[in-house]
Amino acid sequence: MLEQFVVFTSGGQVVYQFNCLGKKFAETQINRFISHLLSSPTIHNEDSSRKYRIVEIAGNSNTSGGNKAQSRGFCSMYHVSRRPELYYVVTYAEQSLQLNQEAEETLQVGINLWESLGLSEGVLDNINGKGSRNERNCIDVLTDLEEELEKFDQYLKIKYEEILSRDNENSSSSIGKVDSKKKPREAKGKKQQQQQQGGGRKWGRDGTMEEINAQDSKALDFSENNQQAGGSMGQIDKDSFGKRTNQGDFLIKEIDDLLSAQKESYQSNEDKGTSAFGFLRKHLLGNKTITETDLKSVLDKLKQKLITKNVAPEAAEFLCKQVSLDLVGSKTASWTSVENTARESLTKSLTQILTPGVSVDLLHEIQQKAETRDAQGLKQPYVFSVVGVNGVGKSTNLSKLAFWLLQNNLRVLVVASDTFRSGAVEQLRVHVENLAELTDESHIRGSKNRRDKTGNDHVELFEAGYGGSDLVTKIAKQAIKYAKEQEFDIVLMDTAGRRHNDPTLMSPLKSFAEQAKPDKIIMVGEALVGTDSVQQAKNFNEAFGRVRNLDFFIISKCDTVGEMLGTMVNMVYATGIPILFVGVGQTYTDLRVLSVNWAVNILVS
Amino acid sequence: MCDIKEEPKFFNRPYCKISKISRRSTRTVLTHISQCVMVSNAVLVAIILVLITTALFTIRTTSSGLIPVSNASKVTNKQPTFIIAGPSESGKTSLFTLLTSDSLRPSVTSLEPNVAHDFKIPITTKTFTGRLIEFPGHLKLRNKLFETLQNSSNIKGLIFVVDATVDPKELTSTAEFLFEILQVTERFPNGVDILIACNKSESFTARPPLKIRSALEKEIERIIIRRQKSLETVNGAEKTDDDGNLQDEPQVFNLGLKDGFKFESLEGNIDAVEGSVIKKNIDRWECWMDERTVN
Ligand SMILES: Nc1nc2c(ncn2[C@@H]2O[C@H](COP(=O)(O)OP(=O)(O)OP(=O)(O)O)[C@@H](O)[C@H]2O)c(=O)[nH]1
Ligand SMILES: Nc1nc2c(ncn2[C@@H]2O[C@H](COP(=O)(O)OP(=O)(O)OP(=O)(O)O)[C@@H](O)[C@H]2O)c(=O)[nH]1
Ligand SMILES: [Mg+2]
Ligand SMILES: [Mg+2]
Repeated sequence: MLEQFVVFTSGGQVVYQFNCLGKKFAETQINRFISHLLSSPTIHNEDSSRKYRIVEIAGNSNTSGGNKAQSRGFCSMYHVSRRPELYYVVTYAEQSLQLNQEAEETLQVGINLWESLGLSEGVLDNINGKGSRNERNCIDVLTDLEEELEKFDQYLKIKYEEILSRDNENSSSSIGKVDSKKKPREAKGKKQQQQQQGGGRKWGRDGTMEEINAQDSKALDFSENNQQAGGSMGQIDKDSFGKRTNQGDFLIKEIDDLLSAQKESYQSNEDKGTSAFGFLRKHLLGNKTITETDLKSVLDKLKQKLITKNVAPEAAEFLCKQVSLDLVGSKTASWTSVENTARESLTKSLTQILTPGVSVDLLHEIQQKAETRDAQGLKQPYVFSVVGVNGVGKSTNLSKLAFWLLQNNLRVLVVASDTFRSGAVEQLRVHVENLAELTDESHIRGSKNRRDKTGNDHVELFEAGYGGSDLVTKIAKQAIKYAKEQEFDIVLMDTAGRRHNDPTLMSPLKSFAEQAKPDKIIMVGEALVGTDSVQQAKNFNEAFGRVRNLDFFIISKCDTVGEMLGTMVNMVYATGIPILFVGVGQTYTDLRVLSVNWAVNILVS
Repeated sequence: MCDIKEEPKFFNRPYCKISKISRRSTRTVLTHISQCVMVSNAVLVAIILVLITTALFTIRTTSSGLIPVSNASKVTNKQPTFIIAGPSESGKTSLFTLLTSDSLRPSVTSLEPNVAHDFKIPITTKTFTGRLIEFPGHLKLRNKLFETLQNSSNIKGLIFVVDATVDPKELTSTAEFLFEILQVTERFPNGVDILIACNKSESFTARPPLKIRSALEKEIERIIIRRQKSLETVNGAEKTDDDGNLQDEPQVFNLGLKDGFKFESLEGNIDAVEGSVIKKNIDRWECWMDERTVN
């Protein structure tokens, strides 16, 4: 049993919706699907064996946001048509062989029906301003399509029942399980469709089993269900139509005719295209459709350019695919502007990828946390931790961050939780000395503050020597405790650099994050790295387990790569995590907020 | 009033929604001709005959004044325009649908703007039509709004739809969005008038518009203070230091910390008015739009 079938425009107007369970249409579910598409456009990897894409939306268990409602996970299968741009989405509880099959069939029937009833064309005409105008002098997307929509609704529901009943019959193995879950819901859905069927469905449920046994003895079936029209449609009628009988048959035939006519008309359309006049119309009157071949050379060029700018081939491929999805079938661009059109479209996809999907206002979040108190009534520090591969600039950028926070009159505790690399603690000590000097000119290097630690009253180093990963978590916990007691606003934890493909080094990250519970986990990636950044970002993002992700990236050493900013794209492409800052040099002031437009302009220029 | 009279000429064209066709120019036609000849030698003679007619036809359509719309980065939108913007889920698409078709319909998160090209402003002057564009509220999709704001020269007003049921304490991101809009609109000579449309007023948890307005005002003040403290934005200044780079946004508001941020001190008027799309209770917003068309 599916949950919802929806057709909506890219503008967000729902042009058709069907709640298969007979409940009220739930926008929130569809919105969660869309928001998933938006925040991780790259992650739903394509399974080529499937006709349509499937997206699984995890239920969110954290109730901290305040709204506990709507946290159930679900699954959606979808298709996007381009002219007009319509989204066809089917949602269902979870992936299973049967449900996937059901969804696929329903989606296909839905799309075909939509086409064959002329709804696509109608919507396109309305969008293109060919429909009749209302008193507001506007053309609504659905102007003059009421009749077709009604038919669509009717036909789709009939076909859906057919799919349902056939599937139930075919999958004898899963019936028990599915059955028990579905009964109450289906009864409801049924009621809406045909009142007399209220009990009929139940019969259908129990009957399904019977049907399977009775498949070779149809006569029995008929006698039990005396009103059935039987024949080739027997199986459908039994389960869902009951009294609809002749009319139901008739409708199904009509629908099937319609659907097969649709296929033919596609073919004849293609024929037309080859005639001389069709050719002219296509090429001269602006009806020329951009095809994949038209785009190929342009896209190859764009892809090459992206790759020279350090974008990983995988990401470049993805971006070009987006462009081609955007443009193939569009009738707008002509030969002269294919390249520019493609560039424009690329700019759009890049911008969308790089733009953060959540607003990150660190100072605001820090302020907010400062207002809360823990169980003991102590002020809670805001905790950052910085992770990344060896030598990318973790310690340096952590110090830059510290400098900025210090300028905002926040008291910062720098924690030397890199206990592996020799010299790491000393390196941080130098940074802290520098920072102390910068905040307070009278600071004497090497002097201790009143708590007998390196630093001064604004910035201080928390250190505990060198050791294994046990020591790291221990230091982290102690540091936070200490920061609370001494009323620090910020805790900055440096961590040891580690190779992303070494599990023994990566696995301690998880327990570290669980113990230290950083408010923000920042990954530093260097702009120099290139293609490998995809895998780096992925592995680090996954290192914290299912419930924790990276929060954002700092891309360091941007000053050294000129226009080759591809690493930025790679890392965001791989994870959907935004870039907040970029490092542009080796001094404390060389940390900047990323400007998406700036990066995109450089990448496409 | 005088320039209003001119507008209908632009608007009553039958094809102006087919924005992209308009990019086709005579130049394009010529390319097509050569390409066409190369490909199909067989029907050459016939083609050339039809070619001429069709070419003429195309030119005629073009000169009949199709306007490019989607080419936002280059083309300036000179049409009188009303813009609907605001955070996600506030009811913008619902409002757009209600305004343009007088009906209510379910809506989901928008991915692209909705545009009505020849929108008749509801109440008074029958002659006045303009463009109505409704932009998606999702953070990842706001770029287009800012682009359009920058490239439009005749914005009559911006309807900033907010969900009045949201706790004023949680208006930070809404205020941030409004602030970013102001950073663009306040650069116009007279700013842009903004209606804070406090939607969902039928709900018993809805806050009064004045409260929302002042909450936003206060929140914007805090944002400005934070922005002054935040790190600079990277924009190639490292390379072109004194070039007066167009990209970086000049600080529009010089906040005298003493008197704080006030909507009154802006160029554009900022009004907050309640309404409810679901109850079709948007008369006062329509009035507001109506007033903007007169002056
Ligand atoms: N040019 C430039 N150099 C940078 C930048 N960020 C860091 N560096 C340099 O990169 C080198 C390595 O920086 P670290 O901060 O020690 O790197 P790390 O990630 O902490 O290294 P490990 O702790 O050994 O893993 C230093 O020489 C930094 O000066 C940057 O934004 N630009
Ligand atoms: N209670 C109430 N709900 C409303 C009202 N207007 C709209 N809504 C609901 O608010 C939700 C969001 O409306 P949309 O119009 O899709 O929101 P939007 O502003 O376009 O959102 P995005 O497209 O995500 O930017 C829908 O579920 C509407 O039914 C109203 O006046 N009162
Ligand atoms: Mg280090
Ligand atoms: Mg919307």
